[in-house]
Amino acid sequence: MIEFQNLKKVYESGGQQVAALNGIDLKINKGEIFGVIGFSGAGKSSLIRCVNLLERPTSGSVIVDGHDLTSMSVKEVRGIKKNIGMVFQHFNLLNSKTVFANVAMPLTLAKVSKDAIKKRVQELLEFVGLADKADYYPDQLSGGQKQRIGIARALATQPSILLCDEATSALDPQTTSSILQLLKKINKEYNITILIITHEMAVIREICDRVAVIESGKIIEEGTVFNVFSSPKTETAKNFVSSVMNDQIPDSIKNIIQKHDGMQKVYRINFVGSTAGQPLLSELAKQFEIHINVLFGTITELQGTPFGNLIVEFQGSDKEIIRALTYINQKKISIKEVTAHAS
Amino acid sequence: MLVNSEQIISALIETVQMVAFSLLFSTILGLPLGILLVVTRKGHLLQNLPVFNVLNGIVNIFRSVPFIILLVAMIPVTRLIVGTSIGTAAAVVPLVFYAGPYIARLIENSLLEVDPGVIEAAEAMGATPWQIISKFLIPEALSSLVLALTIATIGLVGASAMAGAVGGGGIGDLAITYGYQRFDTVTMMITVGILIVIVQGLQSFGNIAAKKIRRR
Repeated sequence: MIEFQNLKKVYESGGQQVAALNGIDLKINKGEIFGVIGFSGAGKSSLIRCVNLLERPTSGSVIVDGHDLTSMSVKEVRGIKKNIGMVFQHFNLLNSKTVFANVAMPLTLAKVSKDAIKKRVQELLEFVGLADKADYYPDQLSGGQKQRIGIARALATQPSILLCDEATSALDPQTTSSILQLLKKINKEYNITILIITHEMAVIREICDRVAVIESGKIIEEGTVFNVFSSPKTETAKNFVSSVMNDQIPDSIKNIIQKHDGMQKVYRINFVGSTAGQPLLSELAKQFEIHINVLFGTITELQGTPFGNLIVEFQGSDKEIIRALTYINQKKISIKEVTAHAS
Repeated sequence: MLVNSEQIISALIETVQMVAFSLLFSTILGLPLGILLVVTRKGHLLQNLPVFNVLNGIVNIFRSVPFIILLVAMIPVTRLIVGTSIGTAAAVVPLVFYAGPYIARLIENSLLEVDPGVIEAAEAMGATPWQIISKFLIPEALSSLVLALTIATIGLVGASAMAGAVGGGGIGDLAITYGYQRFDTVTMMITVGILIVIVQGLQSFGNIAAKKIRRR
């Protein structure tokens, strides 16, 4: 478990004070995958680096598994760090050492016996699928392989927390996906709490349970991935969501709406969970005197729940359309009218 | 030719002795100094600006004094350490004070080239400052450190020639006293030729060693 209490971090830069973290209150539960998303400079990097005190907060507390790190001695913190693995954007492997020696490093530092190290490293390399690369050097590996080694190294001391600082940002989409699957597997098999910092909403959608949006050093929105994706509240969250949800109406469709503006009614319907399984449109067409024209739509899966977004045009008399809308509302399906200027 | 082969061989031995001992002692002096210059600087492992500023100043002072002046100025210190100010052993003392700060700078440069991300990873693992230096910084910089020491060794070969001024002997001294001062062109050619071979050999050895360490 990780808890931030009124966490602040102020940098001194050229006589000016810059607040990177401006009072963060956040609780990350044991065993969950928690994502923090924000634009560059929002403070997300400072936040994750406070969890293992790579950066010391200016004020506030960082509580890890019940220990307040800010009140501990340097030596005590070093001990706690063995319980917190960290994976980096640029892998940060030692180029002068073999894959084996890199993964073994945290154990060597902890003065574990040679035999035990050998066994554990073998196990870890098998887990990340690179058992045959033990004697390679990092510069002989691809980015994805390097990150797997970084992950194996982070897991060496059997931590209960794994911090991922933009762990997939230097990788191509396919490799990103395979690394995310590996993180998911770690979370499931070892019940390790994972905190992920990213600027890619796709990463959050793919593996996170909960998400927080950070802006100007503050958490501006927080919730389950499903809730934040299906109904983002802040402008920033909406931007992030639309970056992966593909729910913006394309220009060609907008042109059609514009041309006929006033002559027809265009609506956005959001299906969530079980409602996505109902044959709503055909029911509407049968029960009411209207024609339905689907202009645009996407259906994605969020945390195992289907989430649909349809832009439809209803053609018919106002009276029939209003009846149809009432019917939809009774079903507790979200529907909003789209005008030519809206998105 | 005014010198015989025996003189050349004994001069060669003196040069090798001077360079080897002064390299050894100046590395013993320069390595910790170079490490301290890195880790005490702003934002680093053991940030300590007073220590950094003092060490930085001392290194700069020694690096500004021309070697021939340092050679003479160090005579009282040499007497204190070796007991005499003349001879091969006496030449080693000023050579160490010349090359030590130089090596410190070279080592500082090599260590600064290490990716800060590696140090960050070490800190995240809970490594102690000493572990970070010995298990991360130095191994990562090793190939570059070997090249730095090669440069320092070649610098010492050059400086050891001037050590003839305090009766240090060596190949360079032979070149100066016979070749230069007595216009013995053959001795000049032979001694300079030997120095060229030594420098070429050292540089090639350093390059091969650095390459082997880098394993690419």
